[in-house]
Amino acid sequence: MANIIETAKAAGCFNTLLTAVEVAGLTSALESPGPFTVFAPVDEAFAALPPGTVQTLVDNPPQLARILKYHVLAGAHLRDELVIQPEWTSLEGAPVAIRRAEPFEVKNATVVSADVTCDNGVVHVINRVILPG
Amino acid sequence: MTPPTATAEDVRQVPLIPPSQHRWAEVIHRLEAGGSMLPDTPENLQQIIGIYKAYAVPMDFYWRDLLYIAERVFLNPLPAFKYFPSQAYLDLPNSYAGDQSKLRIWRGGEKAHPELLEFMAKGETGNMPKVLHHLWHDRINMEFAEACMQAMLWHQGMGGRFYDYLETEAYRANADRAIKTYFRNNPLMLGLYKLFPEMFMEQVKQMSYYANLGLFWEVMAPVFFEMSDIYDEGGFKGVPDAMNFLVNGIFAVAGRPIYHHVYVGDECIEVIPKSEGFTWLYEAALPYVEAVFYRTAPFRGTKSYNAQAYQVPADQADFHYGILYADVFPVGSAGIPPTLLMQDMLHFLPPYLKEMYKQHKRGEEDQLIQLGITFQRSMYNVTSAVIQALRCALLYPLDDSDPEHLMANRRFFEAQMDRFLRPEARLGDIQNQDYR
Repeated sequence: MANIIETAKAAGCFNTLLTAVEVAGLTSALESPGPFTVFAPVDEAFAALPPGTVQTLVDNPPQLARILKYHVLAGAHLRDELVIQPEWTSLEGAPVAIRRAEPFEVKNATVVSADVTCDNGVVHVINRVILPG
Repeated sequence: MTPPTATAEDVRQVPLIPPSQHRWAEVIHRLEAGGSMLPDTPENLQQIIGIYKAYAVPMDFYWRDLLYIAERVFLNPLPAFKYFPSQAYLDLPNSYAGDQSKLRIWRGGEKAHPELLEFMAKGETGNMPKVLHHLWHDRINMEFAEACMQAMLWHQGMGGRFYDYLETEAYRANADRAIKTYFRNNPLMLGLYKLFPEMFMEQVKQMSYYANLGLFWEVMAPVFFEMSDIYDEGGFKGVPDAMNFLVNGIFAVAGRPIYHHVYVGDECIEVIPKSEGFTWLYEAALPYVEAVFYRTAPFRGTKSYNAQAYQVPADQADFHYGILYADVFPVGSAGIPPTLLMQDMLHFLPPYLKEMYKQHKRGEEDQLIQLGITFQRSMYNVTSAVIQALRCALLYPLDDSDPEHLMANRRFFEAQMDRFLRPEARLGDIQNQDYR
């Protein structure tokens, strides 16, 4: 099995996310044994943000890292486990709400593909970038 | 005769959720349709854009001087010249304007605005040395900017992690280093620091809020200039366009770092390093709106509040003296923060607003109050942009087809409007064009 980074590269629809993870210096962390649960926004999710949003973050790696860490939980959690609890604490520190089980919704994003298992965790593909608050 | 069948258009028009029963249902439905709390009229658009322009010029001074004070004046025990930012700070390239900017989405130059420099040289009185302009109070009223900073400091936990960080050991260690470096040739102040360390710490915290507000306004100044330019070119069709421009702006710079650096000579001490990850949206913009637009403090000099008669809430969380609640008429008195801002904006009003004020109420006699009410309208529009940006970031698109999502948006808008159920709220007044 591949790790989270390798899985995302193979999928081909996470180019922006992978670039952001690289710029924020989080690649090696996501290649480590973990395990992690990653809510991974597809390229279209980043493209839907207003102009400049991604650029400002990419220009400022610590701030970018904070937003990216909001998409990561410690531990490998499959969908069935996530929906039991209304909120999970992200690596950023702020809670991530599980708003609905069917369809599976994390914060205001819909999970378009759940339970992609990797060597070092689980990826849930989401259609929107989620933000703390 | 066949019964009429529903056309595709009719089906689209059936609302997915029932109408709101909130007292401000009309405003909520407008927000749900992508509008602003401020009604979409040509006059409202003209008023708010005109005042954004008049606000942007003094704001260009505020942010530069706030950073100058936070970074250079710092703990000067006799800061008599803190309102005299050095040329380096007047020339300091704006991070979001000018060709050197990494994010070039707004036009405008990198250095202090020409209208600001002209006013600083001449004021109302004419060419005089800076110090005479200062003593004659013919200058930009930095006291207003400081009052906003103090509101943020005083109300503290208004969202984000900025205030919490000021309580950490890491911050105290950085502040300690800054204090010792700043006073390294001043044994008297170092002795006082040993005796009263917490007093010095509090002063550094205040300086960190100077930096916070300076970095916040550094962004807002070019945004407001840009809006004025777009309007002059005929670019905004209505109030929602102006609001959406602000929403996009909020997103564009949401990740801008908020930090506090202190310079002693050439040495830079990072009291709050950029690496802490503090952002413009969470650590500056949202706390600013909460502390300044909503809460602030009862302004001394407007009217006498009797705290013992419960005219001032015992609970600080109940403070609602911000521009969204202000009775602009008594606020229009000399020497108090909102009037200081109005006086500043008066110097830079576009001609069309001057003309408008002449035609209403007492003309030039009460234009400070008229422009104060224009400012109130414009800040309801900025608050609408913040509400829509939060909805966009945390909730769902306005055209979402899922009724549960639309209800979540509805609950969010209703919760925001609950804050305007207070009798002091001016939301009702601004629905009416005769409120001037």
